[in-house]
Amino acid sequence: MRNRATQYLSKPKVRQSWSKWNLYNLVRFRIKNPMHRTHFQQKWDAKSASRAYHGEQVSEKQWARMFSPRIRSVVPMDHTGLARDDGSKWSAGRGQGHDDTMVDSRRWVKPMPFGQATYAPLERRLDVAVFRAMFASSARQARQFVIHGAVTVNGKKMRYPGYLLNPGDLFQVEPERVMFATGAPKDKYDRREMRVAQKQKEAAEEEEAAAEESKEEGKTKENQQEDLSPRDTLKVLLSQAKNIMSKDKDVLPAKRKQELRGFQKAVRRVLSRSESSTVLTDNLEAQFSELTLLLKAKKAENNTEKDTEKKSKPAASSTAAAEDTPEGGSKAASEADSEAQPGDKLSEAFRQAAENPEGEVDTSELTDEEFKVLRRALTQMRDNPIDHSKPYATPWRPRDYMNVFAMIPRYLEVHPKTCAAVYLRHPVVRPGSSEVPSPFSAATSELAFSWYLRRR
Amino acid sequence: MAPRIQNQIVSNSLLPYLSSSSTSSSFTSLSSRPRRSCRSFSSTVAPQTRLRNQMFLWLRQEAAELKHHTPGETNYLTSKAEAARGYVGDPRPFPQNIHYCSESILSEELRTEIYNRVVKQKKSVRAVSVELKVDMRRVAAVVRLVELEKRMKEQGKLLALPYARAIHEMVPTTPLRHYDPSTHEEINDLPVHRLTNPQIFYPVSESRQFNRVDAGRVFSAAPALEHEQAAKDAVDPSETISRITQNPSHIEVVGKGEDEHQVLQPADVRIPHPHMVASRREQALVPQERAQQIKIYQARLQKEEEADQERKRRSEERKEKQTQRVQPEDSRFEFRINDVVVSQETTGKDGRNARAPGRRYGVPSYDRKKGQVKIPTRVEV
Repeated sequence: MRNRATQYLSKPKVRQSWSKWNLYNLVRFRIKNPMHRTHFQQKWDAKSASRAYHGEQVSEKQWARMFSPRIRSVVPMDHTGLARDDGSKWSAGRGQGHDDTMVDSRRWVKPMPFGQATYAPLERRLDVAVFRAMFASSARQARQFVIHGAVTVNGKKMRYPGYLLNPGDLFQVEPERVMFATGAPKDKYDRREMRVAQKQKEAAEEEEAAAEESKEEGKTKENQQEDLSPRDTLKVLLSQAKNIMSKDKDVLPAKRKQELRGFQKAVRRVLSRSESSTVLTDNLEAQFSELTLLLKAKKAENNTEKDTEKKSKPAASSTAAAEDTPEGGSKAASEADSEAQPGDKLSEAFRQAAENPEGEVDTSELTDEEFKVLRRALTQMRDNPIDHSKPYATPWRPRDYMNVFAMIPRYLEVHPKTCAAVYLRHPVVRPGSSEVPSPFSAATSELAFSWYLRRR
Repeated sequence: MAPRIQNQIVSNSLLPYLSSSSTSSSFTSLSSRPRRSCRSFSSTVAPQTRLRNQMFLWLRQEAAELKHHTPGETNYLTSKAEAARGYVGDPRPFPQNIHYCSESILSEELRTEIYNRVVKQKKSVRAVSVELKVDMRRVAAVVRLVELEKRMKEQGKLLALPYARAIHEMVPTTPLRHYDPSTHEEINDLPVHRLTNPQIFYPVSESRQFNRVDAGRVFSAAPALEHEQAAKDAVDPSETISRITQNPSHIEVVGKGEDEHQVLQPADVRIPHPHMVASRREQALVPQERAQQIKIYQARLQKEEEADQERKRRSEERKEKQTQRVQPEDSRFEFRINDVVVSQETTGKDGRNARAPGRRYGVPSYDRKKGQVKIPTRVEV
């Protein structure tokens, strides 16, 4: 299907999209002055403007079949009021209640904006629901995700964007796609980095092939890497973490990225020293937990060394630091275990470095703040890493102007972490409000509604 | 080759939320250097129309604050104008539509609280819904979604963590308050019934108590209740309500053939939490004793739960009776066989109703015809 959802500036139409063009069109969108239009023309204008937003990907014929003049509405009830009387006092007198106060109180009930829910049947469509759940930046993109097989309904792949969700259906989009759709795009430097990384990877693969032929050489290389003492490693690690954390604007972006990459490498080096070599190949999560364990162990040693003044204070702060990270609380128990018996080789080395009475040692003894900095850098690296293989700018940040369109209607229950949502019920109208997100005024929607009543 | 331009954005966006716990960062605005043509060798002026110029001017000036969000605040088109007028209300994302406001979503703590209460404390969905003022369907959905998240974590799948954090910063959220649970949404929504749409002029003598039950009967064109029956129901209204809610299949049916429908029930029955009305009535008898009131509510809820369980068990038993299970030896499969019913009810008057299976004489199947929509209508788990 040809994409007619392009943005024009000359005849602005509002679309289901988060683009800045759409934002600009949304701001200056005006319906034509009804004073100079016939009633038919007014209805036509309202219909064409609102259809450009609601289900522009659905053909007019199909929509006309979906349209229903019966609009779902709901009245919130007060259980205390229901318990107080059986309703007979409302029908007393001449059928409007005994006294005038009742009539007055009825007048305060806001009217239902039925016209706003004209396009409620379209909200049932899978592609529209994916857009409403904020998993795609436009309805067209949502449609593409569905067609390309990135969306599952109740755990099964659903390739029809026109699938009408039933109440209780759980749909899920691949998190990678969502991050791509909602994240800021790559700039040309990022793209270049991606190409460089690709080339390096290819070169590494070639080298590996060469290395397999002569394994002995590889062993000598490893030995060379071992030469760096653990103390130096830690110092380098910390200095790099500090550099990453610094908010100075005069640090060049390229420099900063280099630092970050160096930090990543250092972390890998430290981990490769530790006993469990599987951690290195595991995901970032495992890496992170391993590294925090090592740090913890070292810190505990420190505390036992000089428990004279600050015995309780660092421990408290360390637990606070543990709670800072999202998984910290759950891991506290396992970390406490490691504090008890740090039999690890690396932590032993750390301890020796700390005990060393030479002048250099003071720098390697880490304060609480330094630990925190290191920990935060690690958390950041795990949650939102720099990864040039991704199709969006890394580390991930929301795309520009996304916040203007950020809303999640109540008929969906969205879980952004897993990029899954449940279609709870059909959208309804309540007194004074409608659940269908629509940029048009009540008058416009009502005109559109009367257009589809086919009494023109 | 043109000289390299240092991108300003990169420097600050590299680690956006290291300093604070948010995804936003202090972006320096793009320096307003003149736009260059993308064709560096061409000497013709780039095709910048007046409208495009205006748009980019607007984006640079007025819309500069719309570009990035402040964590914990909505940043909609209307928010600035509303704040200037001193109006603080529901955030409305669309300036022209005053009827739509961006409603809050569940915060992370509230979500985990719901999950804990349902799964760990084994409370019923109904009870949790009333306690936290969250719709029952939403409570059920939250449990499903959190389960899904746990499963994904176990499988080692990547979660969209930075994205989730950004969403929770942009959209208003309902916080969790233990002692004063804030209302997330209305939990006693009464759907407007189709039968109540027409206006009916129904003369009633002034001496008669015309209540919600009578109104429902009038709307569904059912004859008025017998006096004895009405008097019996009025003695204990709570009992009447629970009798209907626990046996919804026993509701009186009126009309014939296609027009057959159940009698419209009063609002006390049709709201999602009818037990709240009943326990409220009982509580009104002991207005001063708070502890007693809580006890009454718990007892009512318990009773309701037991009745629910019983009904569910019975319907499952009935279903079990109708299905025949066959599991051949050395087979992975279990065949569940149900009897097929092809009757007037299932085929409908014209014999084309989809509820009845199989081919029927004289009823053509349009399955293979051009233009027949084949999109599935439901996905069964």
